[in-house]
Amino acid sequence: MVVRPYNDELKYLEKISDHCWRIKKGFQPNMNVEGCFYVNSRLERLMLEELKNSCRPGAVGGFLPGVKQIANVAALPGIVGRSIGLPDIHSGYGFAIGNMAAFDMDDPLSVVSPGGVGFDINCGVRLLRTNLYERDVQPVKEQLAQSLFDHIPVGVGSKGIIPMNARDLEEALEMGMDWSLREGYVWAEDKEHCEEYGRMLNADPAKVSMRAKKRGLPQLGTLGAGNHYAEIQVVDEIYDKWSASKMGIEEKGQVVVMIHSGSRGFGHQVATDALVQMEKAMKRDKIETNDRQLACARINSVEGQDYLKAMAAAANFAWVNRSSMTFLTRQAFAKMFNTTPDDLDMHVIYDVSHNIAKVENHIVDGKERKLLVHRKGSTRAFPPHHPLIPVDYQLTGQPVLVGGTMGTCSYVLTGTEQGMQETFGSTCHGAGRALSRAKSRRNIDYKEVLEKLDQIGIAIRVASPKLVMEEAPESYKDVTDVVDTCHAAGISKKCIKMRPIAVIKG
Amino acid sequence: MEVEFSKDNFLLPDIKYEYLDHTADVQLHGWGHSLKEAFEQCGVAMFGYMTELEYVSVEQCYEIEAHGDDLEGLLFHFLDELLFLFSVEPFLVCKKLEITKFDLETFTIVCRCYGEPFELGKHPQGTEVKAITYSAMQIVQKPEDANYEVFVIIDI
Repeated sequence: MVVRPYNDELKYLEKISDHCWRIKKGFQPNMNVEGCFYVNSRLERLMLEELKNSCRPGAVGGFLPGVKQIANVAALPGIVGRSIGLPDIHSGYGFAIGNMAAFDMDDPLSVVSPGGVGFDINCGVRLLRTNLYERDVQPVKEQLAQSLFDHIPVGVGSKGIIPMNARDLEEALEMGMDWSLREGYVWAEDKEHCEEYGRMLNADPAKVSMRAKKRGLPQLGTLGAGNHYAEIQVVDEIYDKWSASKMGIEEKGQVVVMIHSGSRGFGHQVATDALVQMEKAMKRDKIETNDRQLACARINSVEGQDYLKAMAAAANFAWVNRSSMTFLTRQAFAKMFNTTPDDLDMHVIYDVSHNIAKVENHIVDGKERKLLVHRKGSTRAFPPHHPLIPVDYQLTGQPVLVGGTMGTCSYVLTGTEQGMQETFGSTCHGAGRALSRAKSRRNIDYKEVLEKLDQIGIAIRVASPKLVMEEAPESYKDVTDVVDTCHAAGISKKCIKMRPIAVIKG
Repeated sequence: MEVEFSKDNFLLPDIKYEYLDHTADVQLHGWGHSLKEAFEQCGVAMFGYMTELEYVSVEQCYEIEAHGDDLEGLLFHFLDELLFLFSVEPFLVCKKLEITKFDLETFTIVCRCYGEPFELGKHPQGTEVKAITYSAMQIVQKPEDANYEVFVIIDI
């Protein structure tokens, strides 16, 4: 890493609009394209502070600030356009979390990087609507939270309750949500409201190690731990009434359920296996990167292709996982209200993937090109009329689900034409960490967090007490700042705001 | 593979590990009088993050084997094997690790892992470890001071 005094570093950064900064070539060595990041004034301060801290003389350790990571990604072979940081960006493994980058599929040198997808492949958010209102749920809120907690396995060491053997797993990996549909866990309409219809067709379970399958099998249908959650939320604000009505959201007070989870140990192992393989491929093909953690392989190499096929299987695993929890959520609600999920109108509004790489067509320099788009901690946000979004949302643009943190609000945005042009149809994914986990545990009091949640009327069920501090809202950037920045920059548009009334966490 | 062991004269090692700060993840720091000990401590540290080890009793012993291309790779795969032992049958949480073969020519480790299967209700749920990383991995060897330290960032 190039270490310069902070003021010299700033010469490479230029504010090009109220909400966007440009990272010039030379900020890191060998940059093929420029970088950029989206921030408002508050997020800008966090971003620059992080850079400043890393410029201190004698600083050691592997901690690279987000801006530097964006620039390192800009130095990868085959990258086109810009390496883009979204407002919720924070330092991650190789790629920052909240970084997107697109690589030209027709350039033989272009790479695919598991670090650009993340360990939790196809981690994402699903939103279910109901026809219930806050007044229906408030009196039974605690029971409902408990019931969800009892239905959905959460936290370290929990095991799935959907019956599953090794052969079922193979089929699920290949079929994604088609498997869930065949087994009767989801409704046919659910698939329509999912990216890729809940199934990546290039998935090949044969490219997945036995280790990953073994880790995945007991964990299918579990929520996980860390920042994953299931929340009962209430519509708090509607910014775009027409688009909201297309999603079945009619007025304030309507109850929805948000599920945030991914591909569990299965995806983690697929990523780990690929990183080991790619280290070897990099040596063989002499691919130079600025950071050892940016392990990658040429898209057309055996390792690159194998990873994409295994990643697709992990993506399918994640969809089956979220679908299984959709089933359990519907059961919990139906039991509580003594009716059926159908009568509660519990449709999937949408399901987004915010850790994934996909082949997409984009216009670059006036020409249509086939790109491999990496989104790590970044959500696809396609504009109205895009062929890859479902019929129901052709006129509104793709719904983008942005989850907050325990106790803060969440948002639904829609994709815009400007986002398509500026960020390859990508936007933010959540709040983004501001404090380290250890710092949160030291500075935040367990009881205070719970009391605060209680005061604002949020029921909480959490498997691990220390997670309460780690995941407290104070540990994160303000999700409203993040979303407002995306809205003001025009890369997506605010549609609905929700606030939680019950949280279930690992 | 499960192996026999005797509870007679079974001693638990001292704690020679800690958890260091990192933005989204956590850094394990293990140390000891030999590299072998530092590796063992680092492994136990990982289990200590997943649950509280005082609730774990030693009932079973499993033997694992790990290989690497270099020393860093060996540490990586050693921890990855331990994570695997926890993630699948027997779902073992370990309170003590005993490396019985520590071969730095072929980069091979054979280790006896003492603990019991993770059980909800008995063992508090800590944080889930997603993966081991090479990120900022450091292996410090100071034979002259009989001091060895390892630093590993785990993705959580």
